[in-house]
Amino acid sequence: MTIKPLNTAQKQGFIRCHECGNLIKSLAETLCPVCGHSVTSRKPHSVQHTIALIISALCLYIPANIFPIMSVTQLGVAETHTIIGGIVALIHSDMLPIALLVLVASILVPLMKLLGLSLLLLCVHYQWQVNARLFTRLYRVIAFVGRWSMLDIFMISILVALVDLGGVAQVIAGPAATAFAAVVVLTMFAAKSFDPRLIWDHQFSYE
Amino acid sequence: MSPRYEACPECDLLLKPAAPEHGEKAHCPRCGYLLQRPRKHSIERTLALSLAGLILIVPANLLPMVGIKIFGNSHDGTLWSGVLALLKEDMWAVAVLVLISSVLLPLVNLGLAFLISFHLFIQKANFHLFHWMRWLQHLNEWAMLEVYALGIIVACVKLAGMAELRFGFGLYAFIALLIVNTLLSNELDSYLFWRRIAQLSKKP
Repeated sequence: MTIKPLNTAQKQGFIRCHECGNLIKSLAETLCPVCGHSVTSRKPHSVQHTIALIISALCLYIPANIFPIMSVTQLGVAETHTIIGGIVALIHSDMLPIALLVLVASILVPLMKLLGLSLLLLCVHYQWQVNARLFTRLYRVIAFVGRWSMLDIFMISILVALVDLGGVAQVIAGPAATAFAAVVVLTMFAAKSFDPRLIWDHQFSYE
Repeated sequence: MSPRYEACPECDLLLKPAAPEHGEKAHCPRCGYLLQRPRKHSIERTLALSLAGLILIVPANLLPMVGIKIFGNSHDGTLWSGVLALLKEDMWAVAVLVLISSVLLPLVNLGLAFLISFHLFIQKANFHLFHWMRWLQHLNEWAMLEVYALGIIVACVKLAGMAELRFGFGLYAFIALLIVNTLLSNELDSYLFWRRIAQLSKKP
C-alpha cells in the first residue's frame, strides 16, 4: 500500500471562495467570479496572525487576573474583587452553580482557547500526524465558546448601571475589565484567523 | 441548477454537493462539518423573523429591564444604561465593546437579514447583496444577545442577596428578541441564500 497525503481541493486545482463557497477551477484566479471577493486557497498568513493574536492575548491575560475587575462599596465600605476573588465570594455566599458558570466562562474558556490554539499551531508547524477529525472538532469548540467569555463583562456593565447609589451601594469597574475584554476580543480574532484546513494539508490518514 | 463540485470549508475535501431534503443535514464525510441544512420556506421565514426582531428591538432597548431597590433608593436599568455608566467611569473601551455586541450588531444583523431576504423574496437583484451577505456572516458571532441574557441572570443572582429586584417590560421584550434571533439564525439557510443571490445577479 502506498502512502500519500490526503487529497484536498487545493491539490486537485480548486479554490473555494471564503465568502460565498463557490468553487473556482483554477489556482491562478484572484477574484471570485460569483461574489467578486478576492480568493486564496488558504486564509492568508493564517499562522502568523494567529500566533501574534495569541501572544497579545496571553500578555493581557496576566493584568486581567492580577488587577481588580470591580470594586463594590456597601454602606461606605469598599471592597475590590479580582476575577478569582469574585468567584470565591460567590462560593462563600453559597452560589456554587453561578460560581462554576463564571469560573468556566472567565477562567477556563480563555485559558482553553489559548492552549488549544497553541496546540493546533504546533500541530500545523511540526506537521504532526494526528487524529485530524478530533483536532478539527477542537477548533470548532474553540471558535464556538469564545463569545461566552463576554459573560463577565456584561455582568459588570449591568451591575455598574444598577448599583449606583452613591455611598450606600456602588459598583465600579476596575482596570482588569478592559484587559479581560481585550483578551476575549483578541482570542476571538485568533480563532477566526486560524485556518483548520492547514491541519489536513499534511495528514496521511484520518481517524 | 446546482454547482458540479464543492469543497468542505474546514478540511478542503472535494465533494459532489448532496441534495438533502428539508429537515435533513449534510455533513462532510471526512471532518464532519455541517455543509447544508435546508429549511422549509427559509427566505419567507427569515423575512418574517427579521421584521419581528426589528420591531422587538425598539422596546428591548428603550424600556427598563431590571430595577433594584436598596434602603428605599430605587434605580432602573435599560440595555443602554450599562454602556452609559461605563462611559461615565471612563471605561470607554469596555463601553464601546458592550455597545457593539449588545445593541449595535444585533440591530445591524437584523437589518441585513431583512434587506437580503426582502430582495430574495421579491426577486430583485441588487449589487449590494453580496456585500450584505458577507457582512452578515462575519458580524454574526459578534452579536451576543444570548451571552448578555446569561449576564443578566448572573447579575440578578448576585444582587438578589443585597437588594430587591423588579423586572420591567424591557426584559420581556429582550427575551422575545432573543427567541426571535435564535429562530432566525436557525432558519437562515446560507447555502440557499448564496445560491439564490448568485442566480439573481446572473439575470440581466
